[in-house]
Amino acid sequence: MFNKVLIANRGEIAVRVIRACRELGLQTVAVYSDADRNALHVRYADEAYYIGPPPARDSYLRMDKLLEIAKKSGAGAIHPGYGFLAERAEFSQACEDEGIVFIGPKPHAIATMGDKAMARATVTAAGVPVVPGTEGEGTLTDDELLALAPKIGFPLLIKAVAGGGGKGMREARSLEEMPALLRSARQEAEAAFGDGNVYLEKLIEGARHIEIQVLADTHGNVIHLGERECSIQRRHQKLFEESPSPFVGQDEAFRQKMGMVAVRAAQAVDYVSAGTIEFLVDKDKNFYFLEMNTRLQVEHPITEYVTGVDIVKEQIRIARGRPLSYTQEQIAMHGWAMEARINAEDPYNNFMPSIGRIDHTLLPTGPGVRVDTGVYSGFEITPYYDSLISKLIVWGETRGHAIQRMRRALEEYKIVGVRTTIPFHQNLLKQSRFIAGSFDTRFVEERFSMEEADAMRETYPEIAAILATLVAHQETLRAAHVIRSAKRDTSNWKWYSRWERIHR
Amino acid sequence: MKYITTVNGQEFEVEILDEHRVAVNGEVYAVDIAAVSGRPLYSLLANNHSFEGYVYAEEGLWQVLMGGTLYEALVEDEQLRRLRLAGGGGGKERGPFLLKAPMPGLVVAVPVTKGQEVKKGDVLVVLESMKMQNELKSGKDGKVEKVKVEVGQTVDQGQVMISVV
Repeated sequence: MFNKVLIANRGEIAVRVIRACRELGLQTVAVYSDADRNALHVRYADEAYYIGPPPARDSYLRMDKLLEIAKKSGAGAIHPGYGFLAERAEFSQACEDEGIVFIGPKPHAIATMGDKAMARATVTAAGVPVVPGTEGEGTLTDDELLALAPKIGFPLLIKAVAGGGGKGMREARSLEEMPALLRSARQEAEAAFGDGNVYLEKLIEGARHIEIQVLADTHGNVIHLGERECSIQRRHQKLFEESPSPFVGQDEAFRQKMGMVAVRAAQAVDYVSAGTIEFLVDKDKNFYFLEMNTRLQVEHPITEYVTGVDIVKEQIRIARGRPLSYTQEQIAMHGWAMEARINAEDPYNNFMPSIGRIDHTLLPTGPGVRVDTGVYSGFEITPYYDSLISKLIVWGETRGHAIQRMRRALEEYKIVGVRTTIPFHQNLLKQSRFIAGSFDTRFVEERFSMEEADAMRETYPEIAAILATLVAHQETLRAAHVIRSAKRDTSNWKWYSRWERIHR
Repeated sequence: MKYITTVNGQEFEVEILDEHRVAVNGEVYAVDIAAVSGRPLYSLLANNHSFEGYVYAEEGLWQVLMGGTLYEALVEDEQLRRLRLAGGGGGKERGPFLLKAPMPGLVVAVPVTKGQEVKKGDVLVVLESMKMQNELKSGKDGKVEKVKVEVGQTVDQGQVMISVV
């Protein structure tokens, strides 16, 4: 049994794990790169060890150094957080080999779910539906793809293997138009990624991304904690999540059906710890397995809010060999929770990352508000790590209350120094489609623009004019003052001693 | 002091009457402005209505982010405005466009070559930073004059990568 935990991560998630450990009375060990000496996770941990230069491959991805520090500090367990080494089977294996508890799944579960083809085959064998397609089947020629297309059915998507951002993606409605579409998709993929390989996938129209949180212990108990709605995304990056999903809503039978399938998928790989099964759900409530994330997720707090389960503490409990604190019957969802990811990105400029020093930050507080963040006033946002700087999570009795509370909290949240996605969330929460809960995974990319959203809102151009003019006016006066003060009539030395007296 | 302030294309005559009074198109507002924890976050009381906004300069314009809405404001005093109008304005598109790295990063694609004709908005460089691929676009129509980076190269913030004339 361990009582000291090394957190092999940084940022808000390292802080989140440290908090759980402290509440459980466990000692904590942080690691930091040159870029993170002043980071919150270093300041909150009991011990902290330097791990290398800023690039992740030289620091947070160095398994050898992490294991060495674990041994040196006497940490009996390692929590990987998310990202970095969280889904690397060889790291889970290396911990096991060194006699250190990995707070997460076993190597074979990570490896199986990390391989698209293997994951699809494994869950299919367990009776879990997958999106029909050829993903993970290796390099296929046009002839092979044309032969497979009718089996998948139309409409279907041609997608780039190296893809992202819709590049090299084509929608095919019939076999006749496929050869031309394959050619253009390959060309575009080749130009964008230097890899012209494509695969086919059945087009799920109006697809939503809904995922199920599962917990599994080492005694064979597997439960699910309901769903999270994650359809608000851009370039496959989630931006905003909520639980429950407005699409599932009161349909408890549908929720339990998806939940039980998720449990089966986890059981298929003898899963242990917290994990998430991602589904694509069509408008007729058919759902298909997308992938399993074999780690703690960024958006886990919304599930914590509605179920009352502390997922990180359960992970630690499971790693200590204890049974789950809950049975499936004890899990119920209360109210509604939402999470807005606050990224250091400029929503007015194509979500371009924004780096710099956080000069000032004022956190939203008050009823039903939780902020998980790793930054504070004076903290430097560097280009080395991902742009997530904070997660704003709210709870309300109903979805309507949660939306109102999120709006209020976003108004309160002030971050000065870098651009953030706060204005994006403010606009999102005013969209009637969002409020009605009728959106799919294409919503942000196809039906949303910051400019249009801004135009729809009640605006105060004359107030903006006053603000801009007053600030510009002050700047002009300040500049003029600098020029004038150079023309002092007294000698500089005399002036200096006066200046000193004033500022003493 | 009288200014002509253009907000999102709409012109306002803003006259600063004294420290606590401003006239907008002749309508007088009682105002009080305070910088919150230093600039650029300002609290503005206009006729006792409380507003809060970020105000920062970018490319000669004032960006005002208020209540989740971004306003672009051009603030000119009467003299400046006369000069600009006399000069024909819009000198921005003349001269070469220098694509500078907005942040340190790794060049993952350069989809243009020297001498190529490009349109404003065409992607010149894809730069990876913060684990994201960012498309950096041309600010003008023209011909690619110089390509100073190649795929796989890391660049510093502000480094000129491509010029378009």
